Amino acid sequence: MDLLRTIAPRRAAHAHCDIPCGIYDPIQARVEAESCYRIIEKYLASSDEVFRARCLIVKEERAQLAKHHIDVLWSDYFKPEHLEKFPDIQDTCWKAAKQASIVKRTVDLDEAKKLLALIDQIDEAWKGTGGPAATRLPA
Amino acid sequence: MRRLVIVIAGVGVFGALAAGHFRFRERSRLDRIVRSWAARVAIEGPSMEPTIAAGDWLLVDPLAYAERTPDVDDLVLATDPRDDGLVLIKRVVSVDPDGWLRLEGDDPMRSTDSRVFGAVDPRSVSGAPWFRYWPPRRIGRID
Repeated sequence: MDLLRTIAPRRAAHAHCDIPCGIYDPIQARVEAESCYRIIEKYLASSDEVFRARCLIVKEERAQLAKHHIDVLWSDYFKPEHLEKFPDIQDTCWKAAKQASIVKRTVDLDEAKKLLALIDQIDEAWKGTGGPAATRLPA
Repeated sequence: MRRLVIVIAGVGVFGALAAGHFRFRERSRLDRIVRSWAARVAIEGPSMEPTIAAGDWLLVDPLAYAERTPDVDDLVLATDPRDDGLVLIKRVVSVDPDGWLRLEGDDPMRSTDSRVFGAVDPRSVSGAPWFRYWPPRRIGRID
């Protein structure tokens, strides 16, 4: 893999299409993961079966959205040149996507917390690769 | 021992003659590879499919258009006229009377190009992609 990193280009050429909007921000995944965390709290605190059932449905949806946003960052935002600075980013994205699947099937707060921590690691790499400047629109 | 010396000397003389004969052509070819390696790029985006796909790694000759301007059907790397931090890869589809280039993607359904941002200044062209060296199953010349 070191050889691959050596021969990898240092710059990108864009076979550009405006339709992928170029806006990538881990905050999307984080908000969904936060929803999962809060929903699990509410689920655990409630004894209303109907409410609890709704919690599970919403958690399922939110965790799926978190997974989707992680996948988009992974496949579209991170570039070969980012791997030099953050060699673990592929692994982190992979673990985060898997963790989102785990959150779908449990009501364990610790698992939701793990997902948040992994998204924060992605966020760190996003910031470290100039993500905010590259993708956030000026106000 | 003597025979070995003769063989080595023979190979040396032949090598020197061959090198002299091919020096000019081979040298310029090697130069091209060396400078293209330094200017290699990773492709992002779908607009040049099927010729070039996202994830392809290409050699780019930065001097390809030093002595001539790009012509119709040439592949070019050019600065995005809307964002000078972005290098685009496109194909020249026509040349305006004033010499400016109209660029398009090979997949027009998934390309943002001169149809949106108009013709580009030929001086914004920074090279010609000509060889794909990654992924291994698609190594080869591109045009």
